[in-house]
Amino acid sequence: MSAQYLFNGIVTGGILALPAVAFSLLWKLLRFPNFAVSAYLTVGAFAALTANRGLGWPLASAWLGALAVTALVAWLVDRVTFRPMRARRPFSLAIASIGVTFVLENVIRFVWGNDFRAYDVPVTRAMTWAGLRIGREQLDILGVAVALMLLAQIFLTRTRLGIAMRATADNPPLATVKGVPTERVIGLATLGGGALAGGAGVFLGLDTSIDPLLGAGLIISVFAAAILGGIGSAPGALAGALIVGIVEEVGTLVIPPTYKSAIGFFIILVVLLVRPTGLAGART
Amino acid sequence: MTALLEIEDLHAGYGDHEILRGVGLRVDEGEIVTIIGPNGAGKSTLLKTLAGLIRPTAGSISFRGRTLAGARPDAVIRLGLCYVPQEANVFGALSVEENLAMGGWVASGAREARVREVLELFPALAGRRRQRAGSLSGGERQMLALGMALMVEPALLLLDEPSAGLAPALQRLIFDRVREINARGIGIVLVEQNARESLRLCRRGYVLAMGRTQAEGPGTALLEDADIRRLYLGG
Repeated sequence: MSAQYLFNGIVTGGILALPAVAFSLLWKLLRFPNFAVSAYLTVGAFAALTANRGLGWPLASAWLGALAVTALVAWLVDRVTFRPMRARRPFSLAIASIGVTFVLENVIRFVWGNDFRAYDVPVTRAMTWAGLRIGREQLDILGVAVALMLLAQIFLTRTRLGIAMRATADNPPLATVKGVPTERVIGLATLGGGALAGGAGVFLGLDTSIDPLLGAGLIISVFAAAILGGIGSAPGALAGALIVGIVEEVGTLVIPPTYKSAIGFFIILVVLLVRPTGLAGART
Repeated sequence: MTALLEIEDLHAGYGDHEILRGVGLRVDEGEIVTIIGPNGAGKSTLLKTLAGLIRPTAGSISFRGRTLAGARPDAVIRLGLCYVPQEANVFGALSVEENLAMGGWVASGAREARVREVLELFPALAGRRRQRAGSLSGGERQMLALGMALMVEPALLLLDEPSAGLAPALQRLIFDRVREINARGIGIVLVEQNARESLRLCRRGYVLAMGRTQAEGPGTALLEDADIRRLYLGG
């Protein structure tokens, strides 16, 4: 029984890891917590819904379409809202990102309405293995999430552009002095972050249901995972996401599911009190 | 001698706050030039303006015969003018190797050969290629910062207090390396708090105070000048 919760927690953590990595890296790079990542999740979910239900695409293609659409939305938001504010204080940018979230959420609500929706996917039967009920979709989600995390890590550590992204996050003035095109790097990170969040939004819609508050329900967990992992660390955010996912699922054994979202808040509180730099932290 | 860098009546600052109020300076091909002066004289501001981080409000900068005033930092480094800031001059979260790669961002080709050259000049870094720069000692970090600058095969290095905060033995080592780099034909503008040592090192020196060039001359002459000794070298 509790092993089932553990497994569900790992799947939740896998979904959570994608926006958590995006949120964490963008935070370090742009020096503010971009809460609009929650809206990017919702944008991704609805983009795939439109492709899947409206255009009749299979979900795999719809998922790829959602990556592209969300990446583009994130890039446009950055251009229109955050770029002109680059020199402002982080607090102003964080507030602006909350404003962006309201706008995107309400555009979605205006177009698609408030109903709970679901993708048109063939019904599959869950497998049973060692007493665990494992959904086919859960396995797909986990596999793709792991693959995306690996790709992100390879990009950040093995490619010149990925190293430039880490350099820009670490020390923007020095990156500028060395001739690194920091605005292009930020643009690319925004595209990548948007894609990761959008892809996760589709997974979330597949795992639960789709409504305009889909991302808003997850942002505290994303925030908790990023802080737990240490801002700016991709492996940290992945570890943080898995821990948050597992604690949230297993936690429902002990506390009523109604209070599930409080677990994220609790984790944030504990991390900030005990180890403010997070798991990968200790570097300032 | 042809002038590598020529600055005339340069004015620059932050917002309404003018810090440079008419700086003139000249660096010849392959020359070491030292700039000394009290805190707040505008030494660092001058280097930042040359690097393209601050836009000058008036005056001219010419480098290798091209106008540089107002050029962006990436254009400046592409021309072979490379600025090494005093603080935070390495990427702490990146490895030594990654730092060198970023140092040579605008350089094209033969990167591996240049990395080898840099590691020959600074053998202390050779065994630490995969180590995070943030975990290096102060001296090693300074060597890495110089090494990063060499990755673009610069014509002129702008060094902001490369010996600051280092033990005397390490300061000597850094000055030795600066001499060695200069011996390869690379011009150097050195801003130093260690004024005596750096004036001995340079061919010519400038005294900067209140945003203006107050004196210039051969380093040894500046060292012996009674007024300069009294005002800027502590007697």
